[in-house]
Amino acid sequence: MRLSRRPRIKNLRAEAAQFRRRAAVAGALVALAVLGLGAGYFRLQVLQHEEYQLRSEANRIKPRPIVPARGLIYDRNGRLLADNVPAYRLELVPEQVGDLEATLEGLADLVALDEEDITRFHETRRATRAFRPIPLKLRLTEAELSRLAVNRHRFPGVEVVPYLIRRYPYGELFSHIIGYVGRVDAEDLQAMGDSRDSARTHIGKAGLERYYEERLRGEIGYEEVETNVEGRALGVLRRHGAKAGADLHLSVDARLQQAMVDAFAGQHGAAVAVDPRTGEILAMVSLPGYDPNPFVTGISHRQWQALQGPARPLFNRIVLGGFPPGSTIKPFMALAGLELGLRTPEDTTYSTGEFFLPGQSRGYRDWRRGGHGRVDLRESLAQSVNSYYFELAVEMGVDRMDAWFDQFGFGHPTGIDLVGEISGVRPSREWKRRRFNQPWYPGDTVNAAIGQGYWITTPLQLAQATAVLANNGVRHRLHLVTASQAGFDQPRLPEPQPPGVRVVKDPAHLLPVIEGMVAVVHGPTGTARVIGEGAQYRIAAKTGTVQRTSRQGEESIDPNTLPYHLRHQAWTIAFAPAGEPTIAVAVLVEHGGSGSRAAAPVVRRILDAWLLPPAEETPP
Amino acid sequence: MTAFLRWLRDLVHRFTDKLDLPLLLALLALMTVSLVVLSSASDGNSRLVLSQGLRFGVGLVALVLVSRIPPSKLRLWAPLAYAGSLLLLSLVFVFGSGRSANLWLNLGVFYLQPGELLKLSVPMMLAWYLHSVVLPPRWGTLTVCAGIIGLPVGMVILQPDLGTGMLVLASGVFAVFLAGMAWWRIGLFAGLGLLALPVGWHFLMPYQRDRILTFLDPESDPLGAGWNIIQSKIAIGSGGLTGKGWGQGSQSHLDFLPEHTTDFVFSVLAEEWGWAGVVAVLALYLFVIGRSLWMAAQARDGYSRLLAGSLALAFSVYVIVNGGMVAGLLPVVGVPMPLLSFGGTSAVTLLAGFGVVMSVYAHRKFMG
Repeated sequence: MRLSRRPRIKNLRAEAAQFRRRAAVAGALVALAVLGLGAGYFRLQVLQHEEYQLRSEANRIKPRPIVPARGLIYDRNGRLLADNVPAYRLELVPEQVGDLEATLEGLADLVALDEEDITRFHETRRATRAFRPIPLKLRLTEAELSRLAVNRHRFPGVEVVPYLIRRYPYGELFSHIIGYVGRVDAEDLQAMGDSRDSARTHIGKAGLERYYEERLRGEIGYEEVETNVEGRALGVLRRHGAKAGADLHLSVDARLQQAMVDAFAGQHGAAVAVDPRTGEILAMVSLPGYDPNPFVTGISHRQWQALQGPARPLFNRIVLGGFPPGSTIKPFMALAGLELGLRTPEDTTYSTGEFFLPGQSRGYRDWRRGGHGRVDLRESLAQSVNSYYFELAVEMGVDRMDAWFDQFGFGHPTGIDLVGEISGVRPSREWKRRRFNQPWYPGDTVNAAIGQGYWITTPLQLAQATAVLANNGVRHRLHLVTASQAGFDQPRLPEPQPPGVRVVKDPAHLLPVIEGMVAVVHGPTGTARVIGEGAQYRIAAKTGTVQRTSRQGEESIDPNTLPYHLRHQAWTIAFAPAGEPTIAVAVLVEHGGSGSRAAAPVVRRILDAWLLPPAEETPP
Repeated sequence: MTAFLRWLRDLVHRFTDKLDLPLLLALLALMTVSLVVLSSASDGNSRLVLSQGLRFGVGLVALVLVSRIPPSKLRLWAPLAYAGSLLLLSLVFVFGSGRSANLWLNLGVFYLQPGELLKLSVPMMLAWYLHSVVLPPRWGTLTVCAGIIGLPVGMVILQPDLGTGMLVLASGVFAVFLAGMAWWRIGLFAGLGLLALPVGWHFLMPYQRDRILTFLDPESDPLGAGWNIIQSKIAIGSGGLTGKGWGQGSQSHLDFLPEHTTDFVFSVLAEEWGWAGVVAVLALYLFVIGRSLWMAAQARDGYSRLLAGSLALAFSVYVIVNGGMVAGLLPVVGVPMPLLSFGGTSAVTLLAGFGVVMSVYAHRKFMG
């Protein structure tokens, strides 16, 4: 109450009178509104009665949604990777079903219904309007279909509906590229709202199926269906065309993809093969994979449990698996030394086996006890000499390193057409302050120089960077889809890609680096010289081993005697043919011991599969 | 035997002496109409009719019990009821479950919709507050009222349940209106509200925007909400003056009319009973509202008056919004036709609300 004015005192009589006045006003307004309603109904029911009477009698036409076929997915040679096959599903319209429980029980005698089917049905039912059909069981078998055909009259409101179901003919092979579609759940329904899209049963849940959902699914149309007095469909009067989803053409090659899986020989890990000239992904795998087909109809609890093991088959290591790059970072460091004018290819470093920062007693070791002696750039790559890079990194400083690796795409998602890619970590002063609120120490620079310490890269990022070395210093965005086609009668349109970005200012600087990488495979001292034997083309490569345990004291640890989970991550990056590269790969073998022993042979098998004439192909 | 009969008669009297016969009869008439229309609309699904009957039974028990609680007690409990329903509402955010929106709280035995409780507790809280201050309300008082209304309404709309949010808001606004908020202040608020409309549009869910857009142009979405409105209008219009007769509505029986036991039940009534039936039922509603308002005006204390009055006016919002919506005069909002539509919690809260009105009227002589 404002006391500045006359203090107000509660006046009960006045309040009662006030209420009566207001109640009278409100009552009058309500009466007016109800009268208005009555008038509105009078207009509809009396004045416009004849018109609506006619419309009611002619009201035998119901719209029925048409769900278009989902776009197909092809590999680079036109092999079908995601297909639509005809199937039948059982649908219930709750509003037309008399006794729902009895109907469900009766249907259970004809069709194999498990608890999950029933639960999902009820969940969807709660989220859908009662006059909309709800799928009860997808992919009816022949036997179920014939039993239903005989008994159909017993179940009003129950329909057998033909539809197209997604099928992945290659099963596991493309699981981490294509992903899968799954049944629309309550959350998707809410996101789609009350529009036509609620007629859909499936939606992309992972991989390309999810990334390109909008384009693959097309636009729902509807047809006007004439019904008889009982409401049964008699015929279609008019169609308002559905627009088919776009077909996608991928750059991946199913043959190379299979060869990649075979190359791993059952080991876990990931590999990416890129055409360095375009950024097209030729093949990429994350192992183990999983069969996407059960996800389409609804994966059972048991199948789901089986995918939850420690090997994590659902985990896409290509875009989500982050590890330090280890020595595979060295070619990029060497190149930085040349580009920044800190080194010529002939400059040497003397490796004693241990490197010391001024004023510090802690030593940073070479992998060979006693050191490698005097090495130049080529030899530092061939033998993977740490000291060369320790010294170079200290001169370069972390800030210049950070800016350099930024250009190669480290620390950023590559922008490939998949969902949920991680950024990884490109160590820098700013990153460390943000992450740990700690200053950067010189020792951090030394560790970063050989791809250890804070570094996190994905196989995809490493493949992208390798492609830059192979493509004369120009970076292309990695991508899977090269062209799309909106229906069979439409032209096939190439997918636009951003132009390449020049990362290496002077391409001449690449020559000594590539020579060093060739020496890794073909030189007498190369760490991966085992894979150079009998090669019909020249390979440029670099191996890397990421330590899970650090060496203690003078003892060196044989990686093969370590417990499995503590074994090293083995990397190898490579491109070939070295003179005119057409393929660049990054391979990660999990728990694989050293890069040269575990990952390099995998690389060789992949390169052989791409560069040598193909053997007989067996269809899936 | 006679002793037993007398005991029985006394018992019945004890529980019915607080009831208002005219209002009760009108309510019973509406419930009867509901059961008759539903038995046609549900295609003779006796389980549906039975369960609606059961809900009315529960609602009537609630009405009788509430009518026996003196308003002084109801006033004492007001802050508690308000706080309690807010708590339940916030629990819904954590544990809620429901179709397309988190509206329901699973209590093991049954589902509770805390939004419904607010339809009683918000007017109770406002009446409690307004009773304690000098009326008519000025800016300070109005600010507090806005807070009392705004908090639960905001939470309900976030759930998101636009229909319930609107009804709770209306019941609160009516309490303030009945308390004598000056006309120029009302005008100012209405103007501000109009200005805020574009902002509100921004916060609506996609399906809510769809509904408003389809209201403006039903033909734009012939498969979705527009279909509903078109079919509902055909049902109503084809009913004519006297209707097609009970069980003869082709629109609802051939499944052209959606949701014809719940939100669109009034269209079934209009189709089968014609304009005559519509007018009769609207007259019943008008009587219920008028009688309740009159009963509220008889109360001697501000709390009882404001509570009973705002409940009566909130009831009218149901009728007008649903009646307008099914005839395509208003956008489709999830508001049932009170006591007519099939559905649980709202029938019970509505009847409990009339219990409050009857209690206010019965106790008018004993209040200072």
